[in-house]
Amino acid sequence: MSVLDQAPPEINPLQDPLRFARRVPPCAIVIFGASGDLSRRKLLPSLYRLFYERRISQNFAVIGSSRTPMSDEQFREKMRESVSKFLEDAPFDEDVWKSFAQTLFYVPGDMNKPESYEDIRKKLDEVEKSHQTAGNVLFYLSTQPSYYAEAVLALGEHHLNKGNGWRRIIIEKPFGHDLASAQKLNEEIHKVFAESEVYRIDHYLGKETVQNILAFRFGNSMFEPLWNRRYVDHVQITAAESIGVEGRGAYYQEAGALRDMIQNHLSQVMATVAMEPPSVFDAENVRDERAKLLRAVRVMKPEDVPKYSVPGQYGPGYVAGQLLPGFREEPSVSPDAQTDTYAAVTFFIDNWRWAGVPFYIRSGKRMPKRVTDIAIQFKAPPLGLFQQETKTGPREVRPNILVVRIQPEEGISLRFLSKSPGSGMRVRPVSMDFNYGSSFGERSPTAYETLLVDAMVGDPTLYTRQDMVNASWQIVQPILDVWANTKFDFPNYAAGTWGPKASDEMLARQGHVWRIP
Amino acid sequence: MSTAVISPARPEQILKGLSKLWTSLGEEEKQQGKPTVLRACAMTLIVATDEADEGFEASQTISELMREHPSRGIVVAVSDKAESEPQARVLAQCWKPFGKAQQICCEQIEIKARSESWANLGPILLALTAADLPVVFWSRHSAALSEKSTVEQQRGLDTLLNLASKTVVDSRGLDPKLAFERIAKWRGEGRVIADLEWTRLTPWREPLGHIFDNPARENKFSQFHTIEIGHPGDKPTAQELYMAAWLSAPYKAQVEFKRVESFGSGLHSIVLRADNETITFERTGCECLRIWSTNGRERRFNYVDAKPETLMNEELSIIGHDPAFELAFERARELAR
Repeated sequence: MSVLDQAPPEINPLQDPLRFARRVPPCAIVIFGASGDLSRRKLLPSLYRLFYERRISQNFAVIGSSRTPMSDEQFREKMRESVSKFLEDAPFDEDVWKSFAQTLFYVPGDMNKPESYEDIRKKLDEVEKSHQTAGNVLFYLSTQPSYYAEAVLALGEHHLNKGNGWRRIIIEKPFGHDLASAQKLNEEIHKVFAESEVYRIDHYLGKETVQNILAFRFGNSMFEPLWNRRYVDHVQITAAESIGVEGRGAYYQEAGALRDMIQNHLSQVMATVAMEPPSVFDAENVRDERAKLLRAVRVMKPEDVPKYSVPGQYGPGYVAGQLLPGFREEPSVSPDAQTDTYAAVTFFIDNWRWAGVPFYIRSGKRMPKRVTDIAIQFKAPPLGLFQQETKTGPREVRPNILVVRIQPEEGISLRFLSKSPGSGMRVRPVSMDFNYGSSFGERSPTAYETLLVDAMVGDPTLYTRQDMVNASWQIVQPILDVWANTKFDFPNYAAGTWGPKASDEMLARQGHVWRIP
Repeated sequence: MSTAVISPARPEQILKGLSKLWTSLGEEEKQQGKPTVLRACAMTLIVATDEADEGFEASQTISELMREHPSRGIVVAVSDKAESEPQARVLAQCWKPFGKAQQICCEQIEIKARSESWANLGPILLALTAADLPVVFWSRHSAALSEKSTVEQQRGLDTLLNLASKTVVDSRGLDPKLAFERIAKWRGEGRVIADLEWTRLTPWREPLGHIFDNPARENKFSQFHTIEIGHPGDKPTAQELYMAAWLSAPYKAQVEFKRVESFGSGLHSIVLRADNETITFERTGCECLRIWSTNGRERRFNYVDAKPETLMNEELSIIGHDPAFELAFERARELAR
């Protein structure tokens, strides 16, 4: 009998997606690097919260692994401290913790040693029976990136990539440190896991507001007609942090803002803002469109890099009356480090919709405040009816801006002009705000909660695919190459300011200015 | 925070009362020098009740609901103890989400009216709905699905039905045939109707539905040819009919109703029969459900009779058509005949 003669699989007629929670299958999660910062601050608090809200299967277990010798009990106690400290917007419940703690196990081990993987296998076999995890395993690589390839190959050698249920692997950023290393890492991973089993996490894509960009653009009819070169003047994407490197000086010195933020998070955000509508809202179609957009971003020639990109590094500066050290004075940082703690880039997307529209992206540390947002600045009206003459010429009439706030207060604002009350026709900008908190009473899940559930369910929509990673490296690689061969006069901005002057000049050349978010 | 009683209740006075309320909340902000209050409204929720507590429980319930579904809540309490002219009071329901500095506040309006003036509340309510947002009408009024409702009561109800994007009723304890006919009439007029007796079935439907999610399962749902519903009452209730309807609608399986002893009112058990497998889902105690199959699998669940705010939370999450309910409703009507 040919495939065409076979009856299609029966669709469950009892499904009711409007009312039934998405079913998360039983599984065990193996976290490599379990005593690290990411596990303590994000992964375990997210898993606890999912457990608290009963959004994961009762048949669930976490196996933490790292070099630190610890018993299950010690691991549980350490994680209890972290979860109670780092849980976001939710109370800690001691009784729920007691139940959750029973799902936590620890296997000490060195990822270079084969016996570590055998110990993990034994523990997996145990929890498969004791917690009925059905043989499903989600590996989470939360280790130093230099261990990724080695760990994945070792999982293959010890046959941990196959079992009674499904096997998936989540890989944290950075995915490679340049295009060549990302491609090499992909090759190594594909020796052990199929692409459909690989979940490259970019937690920005799990944020509610970033997901909401798609709903906002493609669920409403009024914005999409304006979403193109005819009406949009330019786009600014800002990811500012008020903190410095916070003890991560050694890592950050090697990474820098361009690698740490723009190559991954912000290029994915740009792709979400600018992509074409998918024909169907499913993982492959959405990711196809994101990848297509990234491939359409103009790759800079070396001679264009100084014109369209600006690196920065913070020096000492006063914040709230306190003198903060410069990057080079931070612990574990070389006194002549050439690291970019700030990066601003102008991207152009060479497709029909966006030709000629600059996308300005900036990210920096020790900025005046912590804020991430996307501002779509629309073109000015064709006739300045309400422009007023001043001594220095016509007063600038502020254009419409649509701001998507990703953090801290998630929401959307639209700025437009309104007549000031009183006689005369004086106009001033006012803002129309949508705030998640006031429209949806319920607490928004954190990005890691969303993404962990997606991986357990097998929904890769919000994860980055190999071609997306390659494309995003492709667009930053020329900048990295030129910066690596240039000696910059750092520091070039003071802590507590909005970045180097050269960044303002980059926009000024196009007749634009950075917003103050 | 609330205002004094507004009597007689006139839309302008009520809206002025709301405005004053926000002004006084704003004063607090001025004193603190930073935004402390966020006004929240995603819909208008109107509750009409003729319960003896004059709307007390309804008010409590909608204040609970506001945390999940920020709304302008309007409680219309119909009582013969009310003054001859309708009276109103406006209040703000505020709460501070965990870890946030700002309070979120929703506005609530309570209107008391006699049954003879109920039908005239339409223009007041029309003026009080939040512009351009969905209006959900939750009828806790005994006349809604009763054959004994008076012409005045029907006019009062029609006024609210005409305002609503969705109407929620509760057929619990009523003759299902009559209740279904009334719901069918409204649905025939193009209204979106929900019945809390259907909502109460979600804790039963969800685990049953998930059984057939597994594509590798040997017996597909279409192979279960007989459905047996165990009910404690003399005749199947609306809830039991809905369950039978939901399960039998896709493949027109044979339905059998069986009277059984139970631990309280409402659905007691469901048995799905295929040639080589039987799945049973039943109450095994006041707070326990068990699902088990002759293939050897078994699971137990806690069961509690859901509170009104839990049921309404679920209904307020679905503004618009509910295909699963609509399909089951038509089949339940057939079964009730």
